[in-house]
Amino acid sequence: MRRLLIGLSVTFLALAMVLPASAQNRRERKILWNSQYNYEIEPVGVGQDGTKVFKVWGYGKKVNDAVMNAKQAAVAACIFKGLPGGAGSAPTPPICSQPNAEQIHADYFEKFFEVGGKYLQFIALTNDGEPAGADRIKMRKGYKVAIYVQVMYDALRKQLENDGIARRLDAGF
Amino acid sequence: MRKIFSTFIVLAVAIAAFGQAKKPILMVVPSDQYCISRGYKMEFENQGMKQVLPDYKAALQNDPDLRLVITKMGQIMADRGFPLKDLEQELKNLEQENAESMMLTSKSSASELAESPIDALKRVAKADIILDLDFQIKRQGPQKYIVFNLKGLDAYTAKQVSGVAGAGSPSTAASPELLLEEAVLSHMDNFNAGLMRHFEDMFAKGREVKVQIKVWSNWGEDLESEFGEDGEELSEIIENWFFDNCVEGRFNLSDASENFMKLEQVRIPMMKTDDRGRERAVDTRSFVRDLQKYLKDMGIPSKLYLRGLGEAWLILGEK
Repeated sequence: MRRLLIGLSVTFLALAMVLPASAQNRRERKILWNSQYNYEIEPVGVGQDGTKVFKVWGYGKKVNDAVMNAKQAAVAACIFKGLPGGAGSAPTPPICSQPNAEQIHADYFEKFFEVGGKYLQFIALTNDGEPAGADRIKMRKGYKVAIYVQVMYDALRKQLENDGIARRLDAGF
Repeated sequence: MRKIFSTFIVLAVAIAAFGQAKKPILMVVPSDQYCISRGYKMEFENQGMKQVLPDYKAALQNDPDLRLVITKMGQIMADRGFPLKDLEQELKNLEQENAESMMLTSKSSASELAESPIDALKRVAKADIILDLDFQIKRQGPQKYIVFNLKGLDAYTAKQVSGVAGAGSPSTAASPELLLEEAVLSHMDNFNAGLMRHFEDMFAKGREVKVQIKVWSNWGEDLESEFGEDGEELSEIIENWFFDNCVEGRFNLSDASENFMKLEQVRIPMMKTDDRGRERAVDTRSFVRDLQKYLKDMGIPSKLYLRGLGEAWLILGEK
């Protein structure tokens, strides 16, 4: 009996140590979905003048929500994170090189990324039909989908420069 | 977080307060390797040694790929507020200027323009930041790809201030022109980010320039001569002046003797207030002119020789 109790205690302790590290509860998953740093980008080539083309992933309860989230992520990645290189394209730096720009200009970006917000002006092209096959992953509660986007990178940069959020290359001269 | 925020505020205020600093001139120049490997070169004997130099004019007249890349880069840079100085046009202008200078005479006495041999030497295409360009169209079986290499070089400090290099993705169908356009479009944002870091550093810590102090041989004094009430050596007086006038006292005396001082990484302020209380942009000439005035007050005459926005020589002893 005593050996059984010791065995059970050890098992319980081991589970208590391992479970929190691996399992994601509902709240954590929600935070992860809404994270402003969690952009999944895959370059697909070099865009035409002033544009960037890439594949971007988004999350949502419905497929359409996930598509809109992906569009937001596409613009946000250009502003805060930059784009990785690959498929013939070189890495692209973020438009806002200033650290913590998203926090410093929180009010501006809240309005910029609101539902139907100005960010949509800089998405030129997406395969806006419902993603299918490997680009549409059914999760326990919702979807993770991938879309191909063309972001008007230069126009986005100029908008942020005019609004005083990003610094112009010739600022000060 | 607080530190980052305050640094940003200081930088923003500094930039706002500085107003219009002297804007560097940028020019794309094909690399020596690019020109020489394609036969755009000039060969001549220099004291028994064979010397090979790039022939930019021939390269620009005969290489359509080079022209395409330069045009595309120029378009992107103009959009970012830095129209590039065009090497081909500059070479034409210089030829025209040479011809006109030789023919020009005054109406009353038929006097020619004053020009020293140094003036003639100085009539070359110049820029403050040289975009040193090199690319190759390579083949791998039926596929073609571009290897692209672009360096932003500060003409005075010889430092690389930005750079990108890499190979594009191989293609069978795309024409070399399209691949070249792709290479430029792909790399320029990253290149400009490097330039931006350089300019931010310039505004925060001052423009980095080079200054040389030299001595005319007939002066009779040198940099070890003692001046002032304390009998300090002239080199020490000059060093102290640089310490007092550089941004945060930043400069590096990289070499010196009794006849010269070579000062590198001299950080000069971007703007200063002149005697009339106006904010004025500072270049190496105006910065070193202040030293010239300081030395003149000590009875040391000198000649100020400018080598561009970022380098000046002060030659002591006489004008």
